[in-house]
Amino acid sequence: MLTQRVSNILFAILIIVASIWFAIEAQGFKAAGLLASSGLPSKFFPQLTLGFMVVCAVIVAVLYSLKKIDGSDKSDTVYKNAAEARQGLAVLAVAVASYFTWSTFGFVTMAVLMGPVCLAAMGIRSIKIYITVILLTAFIYAIFTQLLNIRLV
Amino acid sequence: MLANTDALLLAVTQLSQPITLLLLVVGIVIGLIIGILPGLGPPIAIALALPFTFYLEPVPSIILLLGIYSAAIYGGSISAIAVGIPGTGAAIATVQDGHKMFSAGRGGEALGFSLTGSIFGGLVSVVCLAFIAPLLAEFAVRFGPRENLAISVFGLMVVVRVAGQSLSKGLLMGALGLFLTTWGLDELNGTERYTFGSYHLYEGLPLVPFLVGLFAMSEVFISAERAHHKINFNQSSLKVQLPGWRTLVKLKDVLIRSSLIGTVIGIIPGEGAAVGAFFAYSEAKRRSKNPETFGTGVAEGIVAPETANNATVGGALVPTLTLGVPGSPAAAVLLGALIIQGLSPGTQLFVEHPDLMYAIFIGLFAINILMIFIGLLAIRFAARLIMVPTAVIVPTVMLLSFVGVYSVSNSFFNVGVMLGAGILGYVVRKLGYSIAPLSIGFVLGPILENSLRQSLTLADGSVQEFFNTPIGLSIYAALALTILWGPVVGRFKKDKS
Repeated sequence: MLTQRVSNILFAILIIVASIWFAIEAQGFKAAGLLASSGLPSKFFPQLTLGFMVVCAVIVAVLYSLKKIDGSDKSDTVYKNAAEARQGLAVLAVAVASYFTWSTFGFVTMAVLMGPVCLAAMGIRSIKIYITVILLTAFIYAIFTQLLNIRLV
Repeated sequence: MLANTDALLLAVTQLSQPITLLLLVVGIVIGLIIGILPGLGPPIAIALALPFTFYLEPVPSIILLLGIYSAAIYGGSISAIAVGIPGTGAAIATVQDGHKMFSAGRGGEALGFSLTGSIFGGLVSVVCLAFIAPLLAEFAVRFGPRENLAISVFGLMVVVRVAGQSLSKGLLMGALGLFLTTWGLDELNGTERYTFGSYHLYEGLPLVPFLVGLFAMSEVFISAERAHHKINFNQSSLKVQLPGWRTLVKLKDVLIRSSLIGTVIGIIPGEGAAVGAFFAYSEAKRRSKNPETFGTGVAEGIVAPETANNATVGGALVPTLTLGVPGSPAAAVLLGALIIQGLSPGTQLFVEHPDLMYAIFIGLFAINILMIFIGLLAIRFAARLIMVPTAVIVPTVMLLSFVGVYSVSNSFFNVGVMLGAGILGYVVRKLGYSIAPLSIGFVLGPILENSLRQSLTLADGSVQEFFNTPIGLSIYAALALTILWGPVVGRFKKDKS
């Protein structure tokens, strides 16, 4: 199982790398016209917050490396067991897939598939739950399209 | 500005509109349902309702959200008492005595104490809100960029301090929230910042999808992990028995003290309902003649936290409405609702929309009164709600978030932002970070950046000038005291022992 220590150090490194990239990007911010010279440059605040983030991320990484923060033990894992990890990540994947299904095949296809696929991803076998979720999907669709007059395409 | 009586009459007229009255009831019902369902708290409840407010006038929309906010905090206590699983963080302190009383076959009494305490705390905090908020708003009229900067820094830092065990992790989340608000066109000079060639990003990351993603979607992913957990409890004990007059007189000190504790803690940005509940619980225990009985199922152990957590609602609205600094994550989402209604929270809200302010005060009072009746009814159906499998909640909340966020501006971009924020929220929560500083940073970002840039420009780049204002200096001193008080007192006690 992935430990909190390793994952937090990796996340801190990711934050540091991303912050540096965004700070370099900010160097290219250019104001046009008369307002260009007014006040502080646009890059000031983003670079300030990014610098602050780098400092915090370094502290977090050091604290985890030296095991001086709660959750540094080997027993502290991100997920309690493999089943939990599988269910959480599978539902996340379903959410992403639903977004692309909606934009490619339309709302109805996405709505019909989302509930059952989500339940399958969580390993649910009860037919009663599948029927309940499909009925709730129809209910939500009716509220938005009939009551609020929103076109869901 | 409208004369006070005119504004009051206008507020009453707006509140007595059928749609407002209907939404008041609907808000309480939704709040109770979401509060009872374990895992879904007030910020998620308000975030899910946010898209609907696009189609409403300011008064009905705020009343809907306030109904949800108050009822969700109370609803959390029902599952805390019945199954020992707090529906919200605010109800954690109630579990100890509430569930013990329920297990001993006195569930009706426990539920009666929690309902009475919640209503009493809510009503006291509304009265305090109505008196304190206008005074604070009048004082805050003197605030310039330096004072606004100081109060924003104060709000963010206090949230960071109480949000989690690690200060560096809290600061990192707060800074990330601030950074994400810099995306889009610079308000001061029109510079494109992190737009990545997309016109969708010209106005920055949209607030509603971001908050819905951060709170609701991240909770969906986390709830999916425990989709097979089963809840068992004795349904026969789920009948309310309201305390009699004599019992109330006996509990009056606990009720009054916990209401005031909850209101004051609610006013302090970041402290929130959970801290208020725990503080009131420990105070009730400290002052009790029989402190050893706490945790075994005593009335004071339920009344104190439940009174205080509902009292934080009115308290949290004081800084939210008067200074534009949210007192809690739920208040941050509420602040978002005001912004999408085209209102700018802060001192101007009292000057430009006194009718809305009166509507909020009266509406919140009415919500607490109505909650007695709706709460009594809701408890009858609570058993069915508590037994709703997580597997049903996960896809339903996911679809509701997708459709709700899309409907705000019929935009897939919004859905994408919500999904991105949901994944970000899930990852950071799994790694032990709190999302409260991230959400408050995201709400406060624009105010903080503008006031910082204006302050620096006015002071010719001198940071020293930031402290050259009595109000600003007092706020920074209060911040220093808030941060240093715990460690200094701890050190002092250590040296003494």
